[in-house]
Amino acid sequence: MAAENADVVARHRRVVRAGLGAWAVLIYAFLFVPIALLMLFSFNANRYGTFPITGWTLHWYEEALSNYQIQDAVQTSLQVALEVTMISTVVGTAAAFPLVRSRLPFRGGIRASLTLPILIPGLLIGVALLSYFTNLFNLQLSIQTAVIGQAVYATPFVILVVASRLEGFDRLLERAASDLGADTWKRLRYIVLPLIGPAVVAGALFAFTLSLDEFIITLFLIGGHNTLPIYIYTQVKFGITPEVNAVATMLIAASLSVSLLAFATPALVRLARRRLATARSYMSAGRTA
Amino acid sequence: MTSSAGQAEAVVRGAGAIRARPRAVLTSRLGEYAGFGPVLLLFGGFFFAPLVLIVAYSFWQVIDYNVVQNWTLDNYRYFLSVPTYVRTFIATLWMTALATVLTIGIAFPFAYWLTRYVSRSWQRPLLLLVIIPFWTSYLLRVASWITILGEGGVVNRTLEALGLIHQPLSFLLYNRWAVIFVLVYLYFPFAALTLFSALERFDWNQLKAAMDLGAPPLTAIWRIMLPQIRPGVITAVIFVFIPILGEYLTPQLVGGVDGVMIGNLVVNFFVGAQYTRGAAIALLITAIAVAMLILFRRSLVLEQVYGR
Repeated sequence: MAAENADVVARHRRVVRAGLGAWAVLIYAFLFVPIALLMLFSFNANRYGTFPITGWTLHWYEEALSNYQIQDAVQTSLQVALEVTMISTVVGTAAAFPLVRSRLPFRGGIRASLTLPILIPGLLIGVALLSYFTNLFNLQLSIQTAVIGQAVYATPFVILVVASRLEGFDRLLERAASDLGADTWKRLRYIVLPLIGPAVVAGALFAFTLSLDEFIITLFLIGGHNTLPIYIYTQVKFGITPEVNAVATMLIAASLSVSLLAFATPALVRLARRRLATARSYMSAGRTA
Repeated sequence: MTSSAGQAEAVVRGAGAIRARPRAVLTSRLGEYAGFGPVLLLFGGFFFAPLVLIVAYSFWQVIDYNVVQNWTLDNYRYFLSVPTYVRTFIATLWMTALATVLTIGIAFPFAYWLTRYVSRSWQRPLLLLVIIPFWTSYLLRVASWITILGEGGVVNRTLEALGLIHQPLSFLLYNRWAVIFVLVYLYFPFAALTLFSALERFDWNQLKAAMDLGAPPLTAIWRIMLPQIRPGVITAVIFVFIPILGEYLTPQLVGGVDGVMIGNLVVNFFVGAQYTRGAAIALLITAIAVAMLILFRRSLVLEQVYGR
């Protein structure tokens, strides 16, 4: 009886497991089919960017790469993203320290206000800054106004990433360095930065990719310029052209390689350090011998 | 007795030591807070100040394309007096709620599968695979559905080629359901990531124990697991609900005339230089978002999700 029961339970478990596995497969299909189709149609000769496949071509890539507007938009996007990354990384990293380490009154409130820009709809940042710049200060909208808007949006992510790394940081290490005679600068340079470095880099990459992809704040604040998302928006209102598919495919390839790099970097750095250390020890061993 | 006296003495001596260097303590405290300087400038000058302005705007008036400081409730009254706007507002609320429920409902079994049935070494790569669509453009992820569901899109072309239909199906796109569908697609990774990091911390033995004691699996999940991962679930809900509430692009691209959401109204008002009316509507959304955040403030676990 009991054995029979266990049998039923085991079979039940297998069914649940298979069902959930199938569910996961469906979800991966759901996630990737649209992206795969975009990539597929970028090589399709059919100028309407849909089935049927009328032949394979690289024509749309040539068109996209020689399109002046696309070149311009890519350049603007990169410029904006670099500036946003610099601002958010510095501002966010600096803010993470007191947030985690000092005895703050109203810590919860401060933490909430530092993350508020990503908790409220981005639309609001866009319209609020638009009114602020154009009506209150009579400023011309420009790349710089868009940079400021995006920096407000990207900084909380850097704060979160760096702060959570700092939470797990053993302060005794710093205390020890201090006891051994290291001043503030040396502690920062040799103890703190190496340990939180990966989080800062991760935060910076996060800010960079957020900026490249940001749409709604940029739409309000960039005036007559185009970032790549804004350019694509003007193109796709009535469907995607194969040219945009080509841009999309290149974009996906680029962001995938950046992300893979981001994931591989800590491992690569570790590997390099280990190699270096081994080389050094060999050398010193050689010297003593 | 002696030990407590000793403790008291130590405390007194400690206090004396602190009192001996008040200036040093003060400067080091200020130094401690110095890191907030840049963020204070950035957020104070370009986030909180504009927010205050937009709140003020919502109570002012536009006369001849200029914002005039006449304090009034007209903007809110106007919004509530136009039936189309009110309908759009209500539709936005239920669309957002439905899209959130669907997203979480789809993501939960997935996160459950990933933490329970996949070996540890495969969990990270498989999770990464879910996040990859995040790194492809948000705009293109929305637009790709036009390619799939549009009149000349993949679905219609395929069905035509199979001879199943002779006229393209037009109900696939440009309505509220299309918007909800694409929103679920867009926000699924948020939910999956958040639920995964909640389930990853869950002690599965408790679930097994509950079932050993005779609880049916669903009861065990409901009564034992859910209460413990509640913060993660609430974080997921908030992370999906709030951005959808202010969504502009998705209804704009796949919603057509029928699929309009409140974000589109806000943009239209601002584009039409009716800043004060637009501000009032934008604040209506924000008020809902902020109310949710305050209500659930204790359960929000941002670091768990992003700090990895």
